[in-house]
Amino acid sequence: MKRSLVGAVGMVAAASMVLTACSSGANAGAGGAGADDPNRENPGAEPVTLVLNWWGNDDRASRYAQAVDLFEKEYPWITVTTGFSDFPSYWEAKATEAAGKALPDVFQFDSAYLREYAQFGHVLDLKPLIDDGTIDLSGYDEKLVAGGQVDGKQVAIPTSTNTLAMVVNPDVAAAAGVDLPKDGYTWDDLNTFMEDVAGADTKTADGYKLYGSADYTGTFWIFLQSLVQQGTQPFTDDGKLNFKESDVVEWLKSTADLRGGDAIYPAARAAAVKPKTGLSMNESVGEITWDNFLAAYTADSGKDNLKLIPIPSGPDGTGNFFRPSMHLAAGANTEHPYEAGLLINFLLTNPEVGKIFGTSKGVPGDKAQRDAIEAPAGSVDAQVIAFEDQIGTTETTTAPIPVKGFGTIEASWLTLSEELGNGLTTPEDFAKRWFSEVQNAVG
Amino acid sequence: MTMTISTPSRAAEQPAAATPSRRKRTFGRDTRAGYAFLAPWLLGFFLLTAGPMVASLYLAFTDYNLFGAPSFVGLDNFRRLLTDPDYLQAWKVTGTYVVLGTPVKLIAALAVAMLLNTRFRGKGFYRSAFYLPSLVGASVSIAIVWKAMFIDKGPVDTIQQFFGAPAGGWVGRPEMTMPMLILLTVWQFGAPMVIFLAGLKQIPVQLYEAAAVDGAGPWRKFTRITIPMLSPVLFFNLLLETIHAFQIFNSAYIISSGTGGPARSTLFYTLYLYFRGFRDFQMGYASAMAWVLVVVIGIVTVIFFRSSRLWVHYSGESR
Amino acid sequence: MSTVTFDPSTAVDLATSAKLHQQAQARLRAKAVVFHVLVLVVVAVVLYPALWMVVSSFKPSSDIVGNVSLWPTHGSFANFRKALGGIGGVSFWTFFQNSVILAVGSVVGITVSCSVTAYAFARISFPGRNVFFVLMIGTLLLPFHVVIIPQYIVFNTLGLVNTYVPLLIGKFLAADAFFVFLMVQFMRNLPRELDEAARIDGAGHVRIFTSIMLPLMKPALVTSSIFAFIWSWNDFFGPLLYLKSPQFYTLPIALRLFVDQTSVSDYGAQMAMAVLALVPVLLFFLVFQRYLVEGVATQGLKG
Repeated sequence: MKRSLVGAVGMVAAASMVLTACSSGANAGAGGAGADDPNRENPGAEPVTLVLNWWGNDDRASRYAQAVDLFEKEYPWITVTTGFSDFPSYWEAKATEAAGKALPDVFQFDSAYLREYAQFGHVLDLKPLIDDGTIDLSGYDEKLVAGGQVDGKQVAIPTSTNTLAMVVNPDVAAAAGVDLPKDGYTWDDLNTFMEDVAGADTKTADGYKLYGSADYTGTFWIFLQSLVQQGTQPFTDDGKLNFKESDVVEWLKSTADLRGGDAIYPAARAAAVKPKTGLSMNESVGEITWDNFLAAYTADSGKDNLKLIPIPSGPDGTGNFFRPSMHLAAGANTEHPYEAGLLINFLLTNPEVGKIFGTSKGVPGDKAQRDAIEAPAGSVDAQVIAFEDQIGTTETTTAPIPVKGFGTIEASWLTLSEELGNGLTTPEDFAKRWFSEVQNAVG
Repeated sequence: MTMTISTPSRAAEQPAAATPSRRKRTFGRDTRAGYAFLAPWLLGFFLLTAGPMVASLYLAFTDYNLFGAPSFVGLDNFRRLLTDPDYLQAWKVTGTYVVLGTPVKLIAALAVAMLLNTRFRGKGFYRSAFYLPSLVGASVSIAIVWKAMFIDKGPVDTIQQFFGAPAGGWVGRPEMTMPMLILLTVWQFGAPMVIFLAGLKQIPVQLYEAAAVDGAGPWRKFTRITIPMLSPVLFFNLLLETIHAFQIFNSAYIISSGTGGPARSTLFYTLYLYFRGFRDFQMGYASAMAWVLVVVIGIVTVIFFRSSRLWVHYSGESR
Repeated sequence: MSTVTFDPSTAVDLATSAKLHQQAQARLRAKAVVFHVLVLVVVAVVLYPALWMVVSSFKPSSDIVGNVSLWPTHGSFANFRKALGGIGGVSFWTFFQNSVILAVGSVVGITVSCSVTAYAFARISFPGRNVFFVLMIGTLLLPFHVVIIPQYIVFNTLGLVNTYVPLLIGKFLAADAFFVFLMVQFMRNLPRELDEAARIDGAGHVRIFTSIMLPLMKPALVTSSIFAFIWSWNDFFGPLLYLKSPQFYTLPIALRLFVDQTSVSDYGAQMAMAVLALVPVLLFFLVFQRYLVEGVATQGLKG
C-alpha cells in the first residue's frame, strides 16, 4: 500500500512538472521545416502517417475523405489519419493540444487565431517549404498569400477567399412591394430601404412582419469593412486597433433611428429563430454576410432564387476586401514537415481537389483549382464565383489581418449588440465596455 | 473544513462498545481492510485528480494563455475579478438559478417519485416516461426543441393566452431566458427522481403499516416516516443538485448556442469561465474563477453538512 | 395512497362493516381512475417536447427551426436515411458501437470501483478516513474545464491519447465522487446489526461486502448503472478531446456535425440521429428500471 501511495504522489509531482515543462519549451520548430527528414532526399524511404484535422459538417467530411483518398494514391508511403468536429469544439480541442504540444501535422485554421498560435511558435513556418517548391503557390494572388503571414513568417496558407455581400430574397422584396437596392447604393440608401420595407407592414402567412434587414451594425466584420471603405485600415501592422471609441459610437448610431422605429428585424425574433436568421426564415429581404454562406441560406430558406448583390458603397465604392479563409497550417510539433508540406500543397493546388470541394470552403485561391470547378450556370457555386470575379475586377483592398484576441473582441461585439438591440445599453456605453475588453484581450 | 467530518465520524464511535482487546485487533485489521478497499480511489485521486487540481490552483496565480509558459502574477487575477462586470453578471445569473432552480426541481422530483412509489399498474411505463426528458435534455437538439415550446404562437404562448396572459413568446427576451432555463432543468427531474425512488424503496413497509395501525394520515406518514427515513438521500440530492446548479454548463451552452446570450442573460459562471479559458485563452484568469467557485461551493457544502446533523437520520448508525 | 382508516374503538356491527367495505372499494376504484388521469396529464405535459422532437425528425430541415406545429406536412424518412448514412466514410454503426463500448465500460467500472470505495467510507473505520472523505467531496467542487488541460498533458505524455484509456480509467478508479457519495449515503442507511452479526460469525470485510452489502445495495447499484450509462452515452467533451480518429468517435460528436455555423446545416438529420441515439438509452432505462422495484421493502427486511 505504502509503495503505491509514494508512487502516486510521484505521479502528481510529475503531472505538475509536465505542465510547466511543456509550456516553457515554447518555440520548438519555429526555425526551419526539418531538413533532416529522410523522405525529403528519397521520397518513400520510410512510411509516414500524418494527422489531418478540420472543422465543418458531414458534407465537408465526405469531401475531405475523397481528397485524402486521392492524396494517398499519389503518395503511397503516406497514410493520412483524419479528425473533425464542429467549429467551437474544434478550437477547444486545438487549444488543449497546443498546450500539450500535440497539434495535428496539418490542420484547418482560421484567421482569428493566427496571432495567438504564431506568437508562441505552435505552427510551422511554411516559408522554407514554399521556397524549395514543396508547396507551389504560383497559382495564388500574392495579397492572398500574405493573409497567412504574421511577423514575417508564413504560419498558414488560406485555401480560399470570402468577401462580404448582400444576400437578398427577391420574393420577400416583391411581397413587401419594394425594389431591391440599385447598384452603387449607399449605407443611407440601405437604411431608407429598410424603412420602406418595414413601413409597408406586410405580414407572412404565419403573421410575422417583413423587414428589410437585421441590424448590420452588430456584425464586427461589417464595421471593419465600413472603416476600410473610408480608407482606414482597422488594425496596425504591429497588431493594435487603428480606430477610436468615437468611430464605434458613430457607426452604432447610424442605425439608431431604425432600432427606435421598428424598422429592423427584431432582436427577440432573431434570437428565437436562431440558428436560422430573418433571411432564412423568409421574413427579411436581405442580410449582409460572407458570400459563401449563400449555400447555407439557400438550404435553410428552401428558396433557390436567392441572389448576391454588392454591399452598400462608401465614398469610393464598396472597397470589398477578400478575407483569406480556411487556412491550412502545420503543427510545429510535426515529425514530418516535408510530408505535411506535400499534403498542404495537394489540398491547396490539386485541380481534382478543387473539383471535389467546389466553393463549399469559399472560392479557391489557387487558379487551377478555381478553373477546375464544374459549376452549372445558375448554381450556387457559379453565383459565388461570378460574384467574386465581378468584385475582383472592380474593387479590392487588402484584408485586415486580425489582431491577437480577435475571437474575444468579435464575440464581445456580438454580445453587446444583443444588448443594444434589446435596448439594454447605449452606443456610448457599448463602445466604452467594448474598448475595456479590447484592453484585456489585445493588450 | 473539519466540521464536515462530523457525520461519518459518528459511525466511527460505534465499535466503542467492544472489549478493549477485540478493539485493538479489529483496529489493525480494519485499517488494512480500509486502505485495501480504498486503494482504487486513492490511486485515481492522486493520479487523475490531485495533480490537475494542484496545477489549476497554481495557474490561478499566473498569466497563462495556453501557448507560452505561465508567468506568476500574484493576486492580479483575483483583483481583476472584482472589477469585471461580466463576472458580476455571471454571479447574478448563477445565483438566481441556484436559488430558484434547485428547490423547484427537487420538489418536482420528490413529488413524482412518491407518486410512482405507490402501488398501481403501469409503473414501469410512467417511470420511463418521466425519465425520458432527462435523456432528451442532454441532446444537442434540445436547443431547437425547447425554443419551439416557448416561441410565440408555440404551446406555452397558447396556454398563457388561455389563462388570460398577454400573447408573446419567451424566446429572445433576455428577462424570460432564466425562467425558460429553469423550466428546462426542472423538466429534467429524472436523476433526482430515480435516486428518491431508490431511497423510498429502502424504507421498510412495516413502518407505514405500523403507523397506519396507529391512525396516522398521509401527511403524518410523510413528515414522520418518509422524510426522516429518506433524509440521507434527500441530503444527497439537495447537496448534489446545488453543486450541479452552481456548475451548470451544458444546457446553458446548448440553449444559447454557446454565446451566453441573449444579452448575457445566460452567462452562467462555468460558461463564462469556459469563454475566458478556451475562447480568450486566459487560462490563469479562468483558473482563478474556478477556485473562487470551489471556495464558495465549499462553504455551502460545509453549511449543508453541518446542518445535516440536525435533520439527517442514518438508520444504519443511530437507532 | 390507500388511506382508508379504521378506528377499532368504534363499535360497528357486521352489516355496517360490510357496507363500509363496499364503499371503500368503490372509493378506491374512483381514486385509481382520478390518479391515472392525473398522472397521464402530467405525463402528457412532460412528454410533449420529446414528442415534438420525434415528430420533427420526420420533417424536412427547413420546416424545423422556428416552426411550432406538431404534425409534419411533408413527413419522410429522408432524415433517418441521411443520419444512418454515416459521416466522412465512417458508418453510423461504428459511432454507435463506440458509444456502447464506452457506456458499458463505464457501468462496469463505476459499479465495481465506487461500491468498493463506498464500503470503505461507510462501513470501515480507519485512521485517515475522514480526511479522504473530505477530499473526495472536494473533488466534486471543481469545474471540470480547468483540470482538462493538466489531465490532457499527462495522458498525452503517457501516449494514451486516441485510446479509450483516458475515458475509462477514471471510472475504474472511482474518480467520480458523485457515485461514491451516492453509494455511501445508501450504505450508511443499511442496518448495522447485519454486519455486526456477520462479524460475530467470523466474516471478514470481503464477505460482508460481497454477501451482505452488495445484494442490499441493488437499488443504488442500478441507479448508478443507469446514470453511468446515460452520462457516458451523452458525454461530449471527453471523447472530443481524447479520441482523434473518426473510427473511435461516439454518437454525440457525430451529431454535432450536422449543424455547422460555417456551412450548410441539416437540422433534420441531426434531429433524426438524436432520436436514434435516444433509443439505446431508453431501452437501457426500460430494462433496468424494473430492478429499482426490488428494494429492502420487498425483501421484507425488518427496520
